[in-house]
Amino acid sequence: MAKVVLEVNELTTRYITRFRESIYAVDHVSLKVESGKSLGIAGESGCGKSTLALSLMGYYFAPLHYTSGEIIVDERNITGLDPDEVRKTILGTEISYIPQAAMNALNPTRRVINFIEDVIQAHRPGITRTEVYAMAKERFELLGLPAEVLHKYPVELSGGMKQRTVIATSVILSPKVLIADEPSSALDVTSQKMVIKMVMDLMDKGIIKSLVFITHELPLLYNVTDDIMVMYAGQVIEKGSAQEMVFDPIHPYTKALMGSIIVPEAGLRNVKLAAIPGTPPNLKNPPSGCRFAERCKYVMPECRVASVELQKASEGRAYRCLIPEEDLRKAYKHEK
Amino acid sequence: MKGYRDYFLRKFAWFIVTVVVAFTLNFILPRLMPGDPVAAIAARMAQGMSNATGVQAVYEQYTRLFAIDKPILEQYVVYIGNVFRGDFGYSISQYPRTVADVISASVWWTIALQFPAIIVGWIIGNTLGALAAYVRKGFDKVLLPLSIFLSNMPAFGMAIVLLVIFSVDLKWFPTSGGYDYAMIPNMSWDFVWSVIVHYQLPFWSIVLITIGGQAIGMRSMAIYELNADYVKYARFLGIKDFKIIQYVFRNAMLPQITGLALSIGTMVGGALVAEIIFNYPGLGSTILTAVLGGDYPLISATTLIITLMALVAFFALEIVYGLIDPRIKAAQSD
Ligand SMILES: Nc1ncnc2c1ncn2[C@@H]1O[C@H](COP(=O)(O)OP(=O)(O)OP(=O)(O)O)[C@@H](O)[C@H]1O
Ligand SMILES: [Mg+2]
Repeated sequence: MAKVVLEVNELTTRYITRFRESIYAVDHVSLKVESGKSLGIAGESGCGKSTLALSLMGYYFAPLHYTSGEIIVDERNITGLDPDEVRKTILGTEISYIPQAAMNALNPTRRVINFIEDVIQAHRPGITRTEVYAMAKERFELLGLPAEVLHKYPVELSGGMKQRTVIATSVILSPKVLIADEPSSALDVTSQKMVIKMVMDLMDKGIIKSLVFITHELPLLYNVTDDIMVMYAGQVIEKGSAQEMVFDPIHPYTKALMGSIIVPEAGLRNVKLAAIPGTPPNLKNPPSGCRFAERCKYVMPECRVASVELQKASEGRAYRCLIPEEDLRKAYKHEK
Repeated sequence: MKGYRDYFLRKFAWFIVTVVVAFTLNFILPRLMPGDPVAAIAARMAQGMSNATGVQAVYEQYTRLFAIDKPILEQYVVYIGNVFRGDFGYSISQYPRTVADVISASVWWTIALQFPAIIVGWIIGNTLGALAAYVRKGFDKVLLPLSIFLSNMPAFGMAIVLLVIFSVDLKWFPTSGGYDYAMIPNMSWDFVWSVIVHYQLPFWSIVLITIGGQAIGMRSMAIYELNADYVKYARFLGIKDFKIIQYVFRNAMLPQITGLALSIGTMVGGALVAEIIFNYPGLGSTILTAVLGGDYPLISATTLIITLMALVAFFALEIVYGLIDPRIKAAQSD
């Protein structure tokens, strides 16, 4: 078995609002990413994907707070580490991040190269300007970005170029894991493809070892990541290999997500288009039973009572439902 | 740099156009008053001035100065020529001093009072506002209401409060004037000390009001910037908080420069109240005497100065912004 680069066990984090309410946006989430592998995380808007991305880095500031669970990066348990130690030794070098709002991720009054200099200097204090420039130029060119971009201000770059600049900046220190939070969703189809290819290239070119790719479009992950994890209302609702998750979903929610694509990817054109009726529960006081019960076609009375645990299906496969997997599959077949 | 040169030239052209328009209005408006201005002056002077030779001299001088017997265009040319020579004629209320003389004697008091006060108030206000945004908690809870109170306090109210507390009750500072009028201005230590002592209350009354407004503006700008996406991204790449705060304050500061230019540009108007209450020998007090005394030549010269100062301040502002803020730089290049 390959080395595990990122391991998260039962991580729970919450937002504390200004009215002192807790929103458990990441609720006992566990995941594992091996070296050379990628993990896709999918789910509807508001299910906690971005919060999970931030929580994975072990660096918290208000309103997001760590509650429980552990994070192990490359065999080092970083739970409870001094924040400044995390900043210095983990962020940017071990785990790096591409934010969801990459369009506004760069300081508008700083040239790209100066920002990169700040990033590098935060981890290697003695480095000279010339070295920084050489590093940045090398990395940008390797990723197919012109070196002129380095001398520009963010406002002078197009949306797609800004996005790619952010990606290149995030991996400037060759982090072991890259967490990409919807790196392509704000772009047009052509730029989207380009950005996804660029992220995949990072693995192929050996710049990063592992990838966590977040999106709200589950089918997009097929062909992009090795494994897929589906989240619902802060919890993992199903996980498995990309192949299984896309072609043999177990959980009714995963099944529904497969049907909710707007632009079907090639090869997936036979799936029918359907939006999932209803809305996710409010995370301030989630329902006691299965969180998906309200919207589930196969809901039974006991679904609303006891909390439903994640159960193992096969190796690396788990789902959170009271109905046995065979019965679910049968029901799906029936529908066709 | 070519883009910037074009930007500069375009702004400069607009600056010249506005100056010409302002200058022309300053010339035309008084002449739109019913009757001719010189006759109006003469009429007013007949009541206002006791000095008969003075009245006569002023009347003759204005006839010459404004060339009122000539067509309006020629008058305008003559007016421009006069202004460029600094010749605004005699002051009526302070005859036989010339307008240029009255202004040059008072304008330095105003500049020496206002300029440092605005700068000090701006720096303190912005620092406090930035701190409040960053620290939040108790500091912010005290500073915000205090700043709102300060900035909403009318200038005369602030001046009077300081006057009552520090000179009437505590008797720490004199109640009025720019120096002890029993002294003759000279470079002696006693005189300088007297100037310094008289300086304090008007100075701090302006500083306090400036602090309030600037702190509120800076606080909300900085809070907005602190929540910007680029702050989050920089943090998660491991950049030190200290560095990120520099980003935030630089970006929050840029719009605040407008406030600074605004205060500097409208300095004379802003000085009016504080100077009048403290009877400070600056341009503000001069304007008051000019208005009360119907000193038309003095009024018109001061309005011209006020307008020009504001225009120059705004021009300088745009030029500086174009240089330091890439957001504006980019907006200008397309
Ligand atoms: N700063 C915050 N303060 C309080 N609650 C927040 C904050 N940010 C997010 N939340 C809440 O946490 C939950 C998860 O939000 P999150 O942004 O992680 O969702 P997401 O899955 O990334 O959604 P999207 O697809 O729209 O990006 C939501 O219910 C949201 O309302
Ligand atoms: Mg998100």
